[in-house]
Amino acid sequence: MKKTIIQGAISILLFFGTWVALTKIDWVTVFKVQKVTDKTEEKLGNLFWEIFQRTEKENKNPFVVNSIDSIVTRICTANKIDREFIKVHILNKDDINAFALPNGHLIVYSGLIINSDNQEELSGVICHEIAHINLNHVMKKLVKEIGLSVLISMTTGNGGSEIVKETAKMLSSSAFDRSLEKEADIKAVDYLIKAKINPEPFADFLFKLSDKENEATKYLTWISTHPDSKERAEYIIEYCKDKKSLYTGVMTTETWDKLKEKLNE
Amino acid sequence: MINVKQFNYEPGEHEAEAASNSYLMSLIAIIVGLPLPIINLIATLIFYIGNRKGTYFVRWHCTQALLSQLSMLFINSFGFWWTISIIFTDENISSNYIAYIIAALIFNITEFIVTIYTAIKTRKGIHVEWWFYGNLTTLICKSGI
Repeated sequence: MKKTIIQGAISILLFFGTWVALTKIDWVTVFKVQKVTDKTEEKLGNLFWEIFQRTEKENKNPFVVNSIDSIVTRICTANKIDREFIKVHILNKDDINAFALPNGHLIVYSGLIINSDNQEELSGVICHEIAHINLNHVMKKLVKEIGLSVLISMTTGNGGSEIVKETAKMLSSSAFDRSLEKEADIKAVDYLIKAKINPEPFADFLFKLSDKENEATKYLTWISTHPDSKERAEYIIEYCKDKKSLYTGVMTTETWDKLKEKLNE
Repeated sequence: MINVKQFNYEPGEHEAEAASNSYLMSLIAIIVGLPLPIINLIATLIFYIGNRKGTYFVRWHCTQALLSQLSMLFINSFGFWWTISIIFTDENISSNYIAYIIAALIFNITEFIVTIYTAIKTRKGIHVEWWFYGNLTTLICKSGI
């Protein structure tokens, strides 16, 4: 009996020992898992971005682009995020919306900038989307919604243009899981605080939009795709309550006003 | 790992065939039920139940085949569900996962080879006891019943 128990224990130990020993090898690098994933992400990002590029009008006004870039650069520098990876595109569209595509493409609609009361509100939304990018939520969502095999077939050109279009639409107009949204909100607040941008207007922005939720809000895409904005505003305020710091604006009030003017033209 | 031992009595031709089949059963089931680890266990279990009232030699080998499948079930089920969670949830392919799959593969291949070897030997009426499983089987399987 005793011998059997000892032999059984040795067998179990042998299995777990083999497993532990094998974990010492970095298999992800050996099998180039990361490289394949990165390549797929890069191709998908370009594929989706091309669709928006074709169907929407990109705002290339240097003043507008530089202003938004200055916000993104400040956030990235303060949080040690690779600035080169985040590719910001401003599209002329009335919808209040911003979203992330694979491979660091960040799309901001002019409607969002125009409807933000101050630059902190806009910075909050940008931080939220950068958090989605950095936490790899975009690829996770894609894999979950449409499956890895379809994604890979898209990159090889076998996906069919309709599927690619539908997926791009899905990325721009549907939310992530509630837990992923919360994770991105909290991360966004961390980014804002590190970049010395006041996070409270971000919560105010959500409060403000939650009031409008009952109205006919066909332009409020960002908020309709991000449910329970009131609840989100509350936990953001709760989270940043004890993290008070000295905040400064990214651009001057004049620049901010001029930016809105340019977009309203 | 595997010992050839003298059995209590000399098994007859019919017994040797039935005992050998219990191992073959799990081999065939591996091929059929590769994606679902439970299939192997069900196959050997059905064979075990069918031969429950067989002779001691047959019962002994059915039990050994069943026990080995049972432990493989734990290893494979864990790997199976881990794979499912990678495909359908947020879980990513990690070095830990690949290491587990390789470890599971090593154990499965070892078990596969040993099973083939034992199936051949028992067919000739030779009694083969595996490390750990042999002792366990002797504890569970009584000759008197």
